[in-house]
Amino acid sequence: MSGVNLEGIVKAYGPIQVVHGIDLEVKEKEFVVLVGPSGCGKSTTLRMIAGLEEISDGALTIDGRMVNRVAPKDRDVAMVFQNYALYPHLNVADNIAFGLRIRKESKEHIAESVEEVGNILGLTPYLERRPADLSGGQRQRVAMGRAIVRRPKVFLFDEPLSNLDAKLRTQMRAEIKRLHKRLGATSIYVTHDQIEAMTLADRIVVMSDGRIEQIGSPMELFLNPANTFVAGFLGSPPMNMFDATITAGEQGPVAEFDGQRIQLQKLESLANSEGRKVKLGIRPEFVSVADQDAPNLVKLDVDLIETLGSEALIHAHLMGDPFVIRTNTVGQMNILNGISGFTIEPHLIKVFDAETGQALPGQVLEQ
Amino acid sequence: MTMENEAGAEAANRPAPADRTARNYGDLSRVERIIEHLKREWQLYVLLLPTIVWLLVFLYKPMYGLQIAFKDYSVFRGVAGSPWAGLEHFYTLFGNDQFLRALKNTVIISFYGLIFGFPMPIILALMFNEILNQMFKKTAQTIVYLPHFISSVIIAGIVMTAFSPSAGIVNTVMGWFGVDPVYFLTKPEWFRPIFVGTGIWQEAGFQSIVYLAAIAGVSPTLYESAVVDGASRWQMMWKITLPSILPTIIIMLIIRIGNMLEVSFEMIILLYQPATYQTADVVNTFIYRQGIQGGQYDFAAAAGLFNAVVAFVLVMTANTISKRYSRTSLW
Repeated sequence: MSGVNLEGIVKAYGPIQVVHGIDLEVKEKEFVVLVGPSGCGKSTTLRMIAGLEEISDGALTIDGRMVNRVAPKDRDVAMVFQNYALYPHLNVADNIAFGLRIRKESKEHIAESVEEVGNILGLTPYLERRPADLSGGQRQRVAMGRAIVRRPKVFLFDEPLSNLDAKLRTQMRAEIKRLHKRLGATSIYVTHDQIEAMTLADRIVVMSDGRIEQIGSPMELFLNPANTFVAGFLGSPPMNMFDATITAGEQGPVAEFDGQRIQLQKLESLANSEGRKVKLGIRPEFVSVADQDAPNLVKLDVDLIETLGSEALIHAHLMGDPFVIRTNTVGQMNILNGISGFTIEPHLIKVFDAETGQALPGQVLEQ
Repeated sequence: MTMENEAGAEAANRPAPADRTARNYGDLSRVERIIEHLKREWQLYVLLLPTIVWLLVFLYKPMYGLQIAFKDYSVFRGVAGSPWAGLEHFYTLFGNDQFLRALKNTVIISFYGLIFGFPMPIILALMFNEILNQMFKKTAQTIVYLPHFISSVIIAGIVMTAFSPSAGIVNTVMGWFGVDPVYFLTKPEWFRPIFVGTGIWQEAGFQSIVYLAAIAGVSPTLYESAVVDGASRWQMMWKITLPSILPTIIIMLIIRIGNMLEVSFEMIILLYQPATYQTADVVNTFIYRQGIQGGQYDFAAAAGLFNAVVAFVLVMTANTISKRYSRTSLW
């Protein structure tokens, strides 16, 4: 079982704690993505797993073995770095072979492995070139080649696609996914890009300020964020959020804001809570655009409509805060041009506690 | 809004100067383009000016005097008034045993300096890089940099005292083991090792700064990646640090080869004596004795010119070879 287990992992620099006790179990062959804004401790956590940073407290086990004090080379992990970390004086083949040479593997084995990796990653024509003569995407592929050639138990990726342009990033993302399917190795991947997280991960770990906010499959996190941080972090454009106050309505709780009312789903946690302050979260994709005659209309001040072809982004304001709607254009252009607000099904509105930012219990959207 | 933003917005509103010149450049003649360029960038040229003046006054103007190498120079007639003598001084030079001896000594001392002196700063820098205790590292660095800041005269004094047969530390230590005192500085066979050793002691530490700077420029992720791959510190030094600073080493080597005939002249003057001339006298000291002390300016100029031409050929050759085989070169 080559899983990775983190129990109460802490990183402190002197008196300053940057990672506050992380618990995470990565199963064998699982692809887990750590995602969060810069400075949230995701890279530090990854570096602790790699052995590049000392673990201040907690227990790290790889493949059932506690490795807190084990040297990086004996942890049987391989890491892909953001800036590739290729040796500029070595050609592609030698770069890929570096780890094997260091371990004094036989020449035949090295040659075989390099050839195999070259084939897997489509690097065969470039084996004799130096990194300086390669494109960004090719360099990143060499960096991955260096990792997979050693057949480690665990792959660690530290923002490997951040230095690539948008198009190449999409392409390499697919390649990493394919590679993971083919090799089936346990992988831990750090990124600040939520799209990478959504597309690559079996499970996503959302982090902020050195803590885990939520762990779950991409769709779980997207549909049922545990708090406003996760809700705002995943999804593009992000979830719209605004303050409201609960009042009682005929068909269950109603949220009041800015003189408008919106029907909410019946939740136990909202029973008898008139006057409670909440934050409402509405995904840009979950609303239906409507003109002013629609019943239960929530009115918006529309600024701008960006038509992107098959879909459009409507930029509007609600109580002074930006509110974005993403909608299909086909057959809807008439409504779009006359838009004055939106309607939404009550169960698609997420209700968060205004103070703690935690989602109220009982709201589960099925995939 | 911050000041920077305001300035940025203002800059964005102004027509970009590059745009204007790009549009007009096609219509301008070469001279007009240069004038346009000077008008725009004159501040940079003003900054450059002191160096250009210095070069002209101290390096180019004296070249006018080089012609006395081909003249029968007389102080009273001046450089222009002295009659031409063709290559006469060069014939004399190569017929002069003392010059040939000085040339041989120069080459040998330079060669020793290159073999023993050139790698020392590199080794020092690699060693400093491995020291983890910052306090110890800084103290050690200061100690090895120190001799560089001491005047050559003082250094020579220290060397003479250290090797003195009566009170010198070297002979004292040898005395403890029953070895008779040796008059090191009067023995021709000891001059070169002492001279080269002194040079290393004086300059190796300071020269290591260049390599330390180069090492500081190596991306830390290369080491991290190697650590994960399982490389030891020794392997990282050989397989990462050294290859990464190789371009710097090559540049320094080219410069060193270019200066090969410029053996530290004052140090030789300070340390040698007639008893050690046979191994210590180099081209520069020969020029000094012939030209300044002996008043044979034309003959000394010929020797100096020869020295310069050889240095030029050496640096060109080294640069070309390096360019061809290692993709690194000074120009």
